[in-house]
Amino acid sequence: MHAVVAIKQVPDTSNVRIDPETGTLIREGVPAIVNPYDLHAVEAAVQLKERVGGGQVTVITMGPPKAAEALIECIEQGADRAILISDRKFGGADTLATSYVLARAIETINAELPVDIILFGKQAIDGDTAQVGPGVATRLNIPLITYAIAIEEFDLEARTAIVHRRVEQGIEVLQTSLPVLLTVEKEIAPVRHAPLPRLIAAARYQPEVWSATAPVVFDPQQIGLKGSPTVVGKAFTPEQRSGGEVISVADLGLNAVVARALAVIEQAHVRNLQPETGVVS
Amino acid sequence: MGMLTFDAIVVGAGPAGVAAALTMARGGLKVIIIERGRFAGAKNLFGGVFYTHALADVLPDYWERKPPFERPVTEQGYWMLSPDSVIRVMHKSERYRKEPADAYTVLRARFDPWFAEQAVEAGALLITRTTVTRLLKDERGRVIGVDTDRPEGSVYAPVVIIAEGVNNLLTRQAGLIASDLPPTHVALAVKEYVNLPAKELQARFGLSGPREGVAIDVFGDVTLGLPGTGFIYTNQSGISIGVGMLLSEFITHRLRPYEVLERFKNHPVVRPYLEGGEVREYGAHLIPETGYDRMPKLAGDGVMVAGDAAGMVDALHREGTNLAITAGKAAGETALAAHQQGDFSAAFLSRYRRTLEDSFVLKDMKQYRRMTDFLESSPHFMGTYVNLLNEAALRYFTAHGIPKREMEHDIIKMVRERRSFTGVAWDMLKLMRAMRG
Ligand SMILES: Cc1cc2nc3c(=O)[nH]c(=O)nc-3n(C[C@H](O)[C@H](O)[C@H](O)COP(=O)(O)OP(=O)(O)OC[C@H]3O[C@@H](n4cnc5c(N)ncnc54)[C@H](O)[C@@H]3O)c2cc1C
Ligand SMILES: Cc1cc2nc3c(=O)[nH]c(=O)nc-3n(C[C@H](O)[C@H](O)[C@H](O)COP(=O)(O)OP(=O)(O)OC[C@H]3O[C@@H](n4cnc5c(N)ncnc54)[C@H](O)[C@@H]3O)c2cc1C
Repeated sequence: MHAVVAIKQVPDTSNVRIDPETGTLIREGVPAIVNPYDLHAVEAAVQLKERVGGGQVTVITMGPPKAAEALIECIEQGADRAILISDRKFGGADTLATSYVLARAIETINAELPVDIILFGKQAIDGDTAQVGPGVATRLNIPLITYAIAIEEFDLEARTAIVHRRVEQGIEVLQTSLPVLLTVEKEIAPVRHAPLPRLIAAARYQPEVWSATAPVVFDPQQIGLKGSPTVVGKAFTPEQRSGGEVISVADLGLNAVVARALAVIEQAHVRNLQPETGVVS
Repeated sequence: MGMLTFDAIVVGAGPAGVAAALTMARGGLKVIIIERGRFAGAKNLFGGVFYTHALADVLPDYWERKPPFERPVTEQGYWMLSPDSVIRVMHKSERYRKEPADAYTVLRARFDPWFAEQAVEAGALLITRTTVTRLLKDERGRVIGVDTDRPEGSVYAPVVIIAEGVNNLLTRQAGLIASDLPPTHVALAVKEYVNLPAKELQARFGLSGPREGVAIDVFGDVTLGLPGTGFIYTNQSGISIGVGMLLSEFITHRLRPYEVLERFKNHPVVRPYLEGGEVREYGAHLIPETGYDRMPKLAGDGVMVAGDAAGMVDALHREGTNLAITAGKAAGETALAAHQQGDFSAAFLSRYRRTLEDSFVLKDMKQYRRMTDFLESSPHFMGTYVNLLNEAALRYFTAHGIPKREMEHDIIKMVRERRSFTGVAWDMLKLMRAMRG
């Protein structure tokens, strides 16, 4: 069994200023962590390896040299091999360029040792687009299952798997052929406390570093800023919406409720047409 | 997996632990440092003045290794606050300007990782996110290793150096100290980091550039006149501001630490310095006020303790990191000698304490041994005198058309009203005794 897990190092934006446990500072110069969903993806891969009785878990990331720390944490969690795809030329990548690089890297890894399953986090807590996993699946032309919460069956001989995914209405159970790409929710596997000997081994582990030209020659037109057509106009946190008005039929009667609702809609509509008046709160 | 065995285990990657690990790694020992934080410094906080002399002792070429200092301290002194006034006693000297300077402001989140990195470069193994839960002892009670909160988490070594900071659980488990520190022997400090652009900060504090900085310790109204101090230190582009008092004072007077700090920040003299600054972080930390006479035993069979865990703090001069580093180094050197002799007994390791007795660490601790007791027994000291001084200054500096002789009498009368002559004499005597040791 060969699993590849794509992980991203992200700033710890949990935005708590006080460590709930110790009451001490959460640092300025916010510390970097492994994207939380990605750690669960690593754990799922390691558990799958244990379940089928062996294999290899390869973790990859595209990021600055500092991202090696994140890979080492994955080695602690049980991954066997870690690759850091790092080059100034990758800088400024959007989801399109990121997907291109990761897809090409996975193809190369697959040529060395065929890959049965690829795991991504459901989304990165900084970028939050949830596009990179699907982008990679599309480029590799393999089945994609997003928001996976469990791998019920994993049959390397029949080359099929049964996966549960979370949807708004409930849970979907899907059968897929292998290789498959999953983007995972945290439920996929609880992250275990890594044993001390693994921490010690990982502390001495050095991830492989791939540049833009070796061992894979990436198309310079498709990486970094050049390969990134996305233009971010503005980044902002949407204003928190208040709870809204509850109009009860029991209290007012149907007609009054409809009238009230219409009035509210009209008011909102007027505001949309004339945003500068800003009278509606 | 076989047993995890090292030549030495260090618990805690604060200044004491790192200095010990660095010393031992350079001496050729196989060393593991176990730190519970995400990284060294992740859980650490201090006021902010770091003295370089101890660092130079463990790492003579530290300056070339580009330590993440904020600003050299080129001006320092005291503010004595009354509710609406201040008397400032500041010392500024051209002699503070030579670099490397004696003292720098520092942020531990930056400094500790850098310092730990020096130990790692020297060959020590740093394991983070791992808490040591207990000491492992053999049937004769000798320490032979530690257990951690990790699966398969036991590590063995003939010598363990405890540098766990003020929460001295392991020190207690080692039997080196009988009980936890009572609230009268531990101070609680709260601190904020307030962001300010460097230019603005320099203008407000009268600094001519990034190579100048101020360290101010504040007494009086900052702690509502209770024993304790406040501080204001300048970083590269931000202010460290905080206040600390004995835990017992917070309890007795039902004060909330953050309210005390908020009050300090809103003092009319202080507020203009912070205007427009953004609070980037805040936190709280304990400071041991153990005092020389209540310090733990510093060594047992297979174990030594250094830094805050051993109560090595000189609160009067707000020194702690330098005592911790010097002690860590001494413990490390003792461990090296123990390995050479193959003797890890308490008797052999007791030379660690002797080294410290000969250094400033225990000499200063001994000199100020009565300080905590003094403050405890004279809680009015700060408030009364600081307010008095401010009143006196006000009368002295204002012209009321009163003859100067009368004004002097007025001032003396005011002092007498607030505290009897014998009271003043007694306070001074006690203070002198506390200072002389
Ligand atoms: C405020 C803001 C501004 C931005 N501005 C620009 C801009 O100006 N120009 C531009 O081109 N892009 C910009 N981006 C996009 C940014 O580069 C994306 O963060 C990046 O492409 C990855 O997308 P994502 O973080 O949304 O990942 P998601 O798609 O949410 O991540 C899903 C999963 O993909 C995997 N993954 C994601 N990234 C990596 C990686 N690097 N290595 C390995 N695995 C990975 C992980 O498993 C992760 O869980 C901006 C993003 C933000 C938040
Ligand atoms: C508000 C404040 C202001 C101060 N101002 C100054 C100043 O201006 N100048 C100065 O020199 N000193 C100052 N001090 C004192 C100084 O911070 C301490 O004396 C110094 O940090 C002691 O170093 P240490 O290595 O003994 O302990 P710490 O720095 O506390 O380090 C202990 C380390 O051990 C780790 N640890 C604890 N238990 C475990 C465990 N069981 N397993 C694994 N890891 C563990 C902790 O996470 C921590 O990293 C101040 C202190 C405070 C609180």
